[in-house]
Amino acid sequence: MDPYGDGDNKEINVRFLQADNVRANFIVQNFNLETANSLRRVMLAEIPTLAIDVVEVLDNTSVLADEFICHRLGLIPLCSKGVDDLLYSRDCDCEGYCENCAVVLTLQARCTGNEIMKVFARDLVVSSARPTEEVGNPVITDAEGQGSCIVKLRRGQAIHMRCIAKKGIAKEHAKWAPSAAIGFEYDPANKLRHLDYWCEGDDWKEEWPMDEERVNLDGGPEQEDQDFDYDAVPTRFFFDVETVGGLDPDQIVTKGIETLQHKLADVIHQLKGGENADGADFGGAQSPQMNGGGYQDQGYTTPFQGGNTSVWGSGNPAGGTTPYGATPGYGQASNW
Amino acid sequence: MSPDQLVKAKEESEELGGYFIVNGIEKIIRMLLVNRRNFPMAIKRGAFMKRGAGYTQFGIVMRCVRPDQTSQTNALHYLNDGNVNLRFSWRKAEYLVPAMMVLKALVETNDREIYEGIVGAAGSEGLEDKQFVTDRVELLLRTYKVYGLHSQAKTRAYLGQKFKVVLQIPDDISDVDAGTEFLRKIVLPHLGSNNVTESQDADKFRMLLFMTRKLYALVEGECAVDNPDAVQSQEVLLGGHLFGQILKEKLDEWLNSLRLPLSDWGRRNEWPTFTSPQFQRDFIPKILRKTNENIGQAMEYFLSTGNLVSPTGLDLQQTAGFVVVAEKINFYRFISHFRMVHRGAFFAQLKTTTVRKLLPESWGFLCPVHTPDGSPCGLLNHFAHKCKLATESVDVSAIPGLVARLGVSSRSSASLDASVVVQLDGRVLGFCSPKQAKAIGDTLRYWKVEGTHGVPLELEIGYIPNSDGGQYPGVYMFSQSARMYRPVKYLPLNKLDYVGPFEQPFMSIAVTDPEIVSGDSTHVEYDPTNILSILANMTPFSDFNQSPRNMYQCQMGKQSMGTPGAAGRYRTDNKTYRLQTGQTPIVRPPLHNEYGLDNFPNGANAVVAVISYTGYDMDDAMIINKSAHERGFGHGTIYKTKICDLAEGTGKSRSARTVSKLFGFAPDGLVMAKWRETLDDDGWPRIGTLLKHGDIIAAWHNVSLDPGSGEYINRDGATQFFKYKEDEVAFVEEVRIIGSESGLDPCQKISIKLRVPRSPVIGDKFSSRHGQKGVLSQKWPAVDMPFSESGIQPDVIINPHAFPSRMTIGMFVESLAGKAGALHGIAQDSTPFRFDEQNRAVDYFGHQLMKAGYNYYGNEPMYSGITGQELAADIYIGVVYYQRLRHMVNDKYQVRTTGPINQLTGQPIKGRKKGGGIRVGEMERDALLAHGTAFLLQDRLMNCSDYMKAAICRRCGSFLSTAPTVPEFDKKKRGSSTVRCRRCATLAAGMESKSDIWTDGQGIRYTGGSDVAVVAVPGVLKYLDVELASMGIRLKFQVEP
Repeated sequence: MDPYGDGDNKEINVRFLQADNVRANFIVQNFNLETANSLRRVMLAEIPTLAIDVVEVLDNTSVLADEFICHRLGLIPLCSKGVDDLLYSRDCDCEGYCENCAVVLTLQARCTGNEIMKVFARDLVVSSARPTEEVGNPVITDAEGQGSCIVKLRRGQAIHMRCIAKKGIAKEHAKWAPSAAIGFEYDPANKLRHLDYWCEGDDWKEEWPMDEERVNLDGGPEQEDQDFDYDAVPTRFFFDVETVGGLDPDQIVTKGIETLQHKLADVIHQLKGGENADGADFGGAQSPQMNGGGYQDQGYTTPFQGGNTSVWGSGNPAGGTTPYGATPGYGQASNW
Repeated sequence: MSPDQLVKAKEESEELGGYFIVNGIEKIIRMLLVNRRNFPMAIKRGAFMKRGAGYTQFGIVMRCVRPDQTSQTNALHYLNDGNVNLRFSWRKAEYLVPAMMVLKALVETNDREIYEGIVGAAGSEGLEDKQFVTDRVELLLRTYKVYGLHSQAKTRAYLGQKFKVVLQIPDDISDVDAGTEFLRKIVLPHLGSNNVTESQDADKFRMLLFMTRKLYALVEGECAVDNPDAVQSQEVLLGGHLFGQILKEKLDEWLNSLRLPLSDWGRRNEWPTFTSPQFQRDFIPKILRKTNENIGQAMEYFLSTGNLVSPTGLDLQQTAGFVVVAEKINFYRFISHFRMVHRGAFFAQLKTTTVRKLLPESWGFLCPVHTPDGSPCGLLNHFAHKCKLATESVDVSAIPGLVARLGVSSRSSASLDASVVVQLDGRVLGFCSPKQAKAIGDTLRYWKVEGTHGVPLELEIGYIPNSDGGQYPGVYMFSQSARMYRPVKYLPLNKLDYVGPFEQPFMSIAVTDPEIVSGDSTHVEYDPTNILSILANMTPFSDFNQSPRNMYQCQMGKQSMGTPGAAGRYRTDNKTYRLQTGQTPIVRPPLHNEYGLDNFPNGANAVVAVISYTGYDMDDAMIINKSAHERGFGHGTIYKTKICDLAEGTGKSRSARTVSKLFGFAPDGLVMAKWRETLDDDGWPRIGTLLKHGDIIAAWHNVSLDPGSGEYINRDGATQFFKYKEDEVAFVEEVRIIGSESGLDPCQKISIKLRVPRSPVIGDKFSSRHGQKGVLSQKWPAVDMPFSESGIQPDVIINPHAFPSRMTIGMFVESLAGKAGALHGIAQDSTPFRFDEQNRAVDYFGHQLMKAGYNYYGNEPMYSGITGQELAADIYIGVVYYQRLRHMVNDKYQVRTTGPINQLTGQPIKGRKKGGGIRVGEMERDALLAHGTAFLLQDRLMNCSDYMKAAICRRCGSFLSTAPTVPEFDKKKRGSSTVRCRRCATLAAGMESKSDIWTDGQGIRYTGGSDVAVVAVPGVLKYLDVELASMGIRLKFQVEP
């Protein structure tokens, strides 16, 4: 039997096209679009990784501002293998951070020579106990083994920072993203007509690049004589996961599936109304609100100091406290 | 200095100077366009008729420039009867002299010589057709007879006698000498203003004759007027020249001011000679001291204010606005200041738009793109990037000889067809036939490019051919400074030639090689982009854009947050903007490197998708990828400098005795831990501290000088603070201690540089380099962004509707080029005019894209990030360089629910800083009325404004007569007081029942007046009532029901 054939009720099937330590290129077959995209989204944004979150600046006489360097430090990929053994800092019982929820890296450099000294990611030294030997190491992939450049120092300049790396997800900040771009494609031959290709001439096929290889993997080009199937849905998905280095690409995929399962399990759990049904637990991470944190008040307070006392209102013997508050019908503003 | 030395001196490594630093502010003397020097311009101006009876609109104006670059304008006016008068200004007053008188005074001459000089030699060709001129010259000569001045000496004496006082010539100088002085100072001074020789006077004479001749030609219609608004008849008033003129005048003024103390001293000391020891002794202390020799101060005043204080006006049309601040918002803005040229403040008030027009003469000299829109449009121009300015005169001593050899004679014919003039720097070299004139022009040009015969390359040889009523023909050469000139290739020699604006209109310069017409074109442009300014050249593919968009980009490039310089560390600007994550554009012209702009990045490359994705990109809004934002896209910083001055407000005197405050915590006082959060031991803020509103930034205490020990002693032990008053958080970047000038006094002043981080927030303004500005509307989560098959998500999403009406095709091409450049890892050349119909930009970059496996036209299929479904249309996605503009919501937002109000009216005050509101004005009111939104109207105009409850008497309808009752015996209990009308009440007679009687604040007892209601009215209504009452007008309101 053709293991890659179409048809109903086929087993989900994954076929790797290419897999190395930076990317995993694979096809998922007999899958559905919704889940495939969910997987993509989870791999992009919801796999917990480790990244520098808090920086204690002990010394910085470099030309770059503190917050500038801190931002750069945050974006340095750290090894996240074994990050599951760490707690989210907010779930930890400690105050601030501890060995259970954070890895501390120290960056200390001083330029004493006449040359300009570059401080690299390799100069980040883990200085706290951690669950595994790997987690928290800066990712270094270049041939020189230097990692990314953080800052340049001139003679006499020094930098000393304590970087507290915490667990987080990319929904909160892009620095926790485990993957770079994730390639995602279905129906390369456009047999489903999801896309109406624009073309200068009459035939789009002449103008648009066609990945023959992929088309063949996707059941070959469209047959001329075949009737268009209006009910067809995409079933075969091409994924191309590229890691930033913190996790291996295959780990990203498996962790992605795992995270997705957890999320779904949570939904089921919530629906069944378990003992923990107050919505407090969303499987750990929760994305912040778009405007940054929930509002405590109902939006009827004003930042203006003593906003509700106007000189006019209080100085008027007949008037009430404020012109606004005393308006008939306005007192019940909070009932809206 | 070398770059290394400059860096060590804490300057920019590529510092070129060209500006003054006055009180710490960089000031530039702005270049001005003024009339071309030493060229008699034919002008027709209605205002000329206002000079007096008989004056017509015709005139010849010549701006004569002396070797020291001061100028004197001479104008000839044509009168109805054919007479010609010379007009000039001296010390801001205008004078008119008959031209004949000046002619007669200049040289010993006779009527025939003048007649032939104007009309043409007797018996020359075309004399019989010159009836118009001969009639008038005859009249000119005849009417002059009334003066009865027959010899040169007599004429000079007459002039001298008339102008002795005006020219401030001493009384003891004879009239003849005064007349000579008049001619030297005023009449055509460019031909001789110092030690004037007889031949120079003859030059002046010939020039004046020529001007008269041109005037008659103009009146007759033989030649057209010269356009003073075209660069052809303009030159540049350079900063150095203006500075020199002012300096000269100030020195002159000072020298004149010496006279009074000198004569005073002389009178007192019985006129000793200047060689006497007494004079030697007294000169400096007793004479010089009495004058104001502080010329430096006067120059400083000029540089700091830009105001010109001058008794003569320096022959300029404005007295203010000569100096502008060289703002360092980013490098584009900074360098633009040095290429900026203004038409003059006088023209800004002109109602007509003719002066603002872009004329073809400007080609290659003024950039057609780089001018602001709005009020200075067309008046504030920028030089094309290859346009040069002559700062020195070139050596032209060989020219007169060469011209003579080429066949120029001193005698002219009557007809222009027979002889035309040859001039050099406003000096008549002679006359020749039109054919010869062309030969002279061509030969000299050949020699000039060749570099032989002593003809300098920078010489401008304006050959104006004969035409039917066109510009007055001749060969006019210019060699002096302040001219514009630009390089073009001279075809006969295939060599560099410099072309000036005067000669250019009559030359045939091909723009590109294929445009060269054999037998006609003499020159070809080196590059068509030479006509653009530096900034306009930086707009990629600007030839694809609708032209106004390129203008907008020139504006916005100057407002973008970029890199003002590398020496920011050593500067203390009040406010500077800096982009943290600047990049070099992928798409840029080679000029970008030539001008070293990579040292000053001005934006960042962004992946831009043109798609209407969420609705948050409507109306020029743009969405940015939240992840891109988090990775630093568009992050910027503002540096602000705050000054903490202890001596502020203690008066002007800065002597050491006035020190009453010192920085630091009071020595014996308590230091709270809270204070030390931001402050160091010395009472100054710690570097790197985060400051919030209300944080303390410096500590100080009161001191008094202990006369015994000579030390400052604090007595109260109290520490006071300077506070950070802004709402935004800031970091302390730097603390500078500003010492006193003597270096002995204790520190009284510090300057704190603060760093305000400004990551992009919703409402901040961004723009591409094609005049496509937009406001950030959302930071969209990366997973929800659309993505391509390879997983690329756009950094920026803009709406397709931004394009059809604006036609910024250049942006599409940039997107295409940027994408191809990013894929292949190359920087793309974006120089305009490199592509044409045969070699299309789309094809060029399309092929690159195709090679990289992408769609030829830059489109890509994309998927919805939310559903994962392929979008029904393919999306145009590419890489575009984005600028972040300095207009940010954080500096602009204005919100208010309640807040401070005006005392008198009770209405909200205005002003963002004070927490005021935005006025709902008449037009807004009209709109609300028109929509019938009565509730909203009332809400805005009353409830949120000056809503008040006021008591009104129903019976008499008055607000003013109501008063709260006061309990008679218990005045403290006020809460439950009722309001009554005093007007309707009657004084209590004492017989009423006690419950009917009430008392007002003054203790007067009333009965009645209880028909009072409380109504809600705008506060100003009551105020209006009061105001009207003060004028004796009573407002009466009917209260219903």
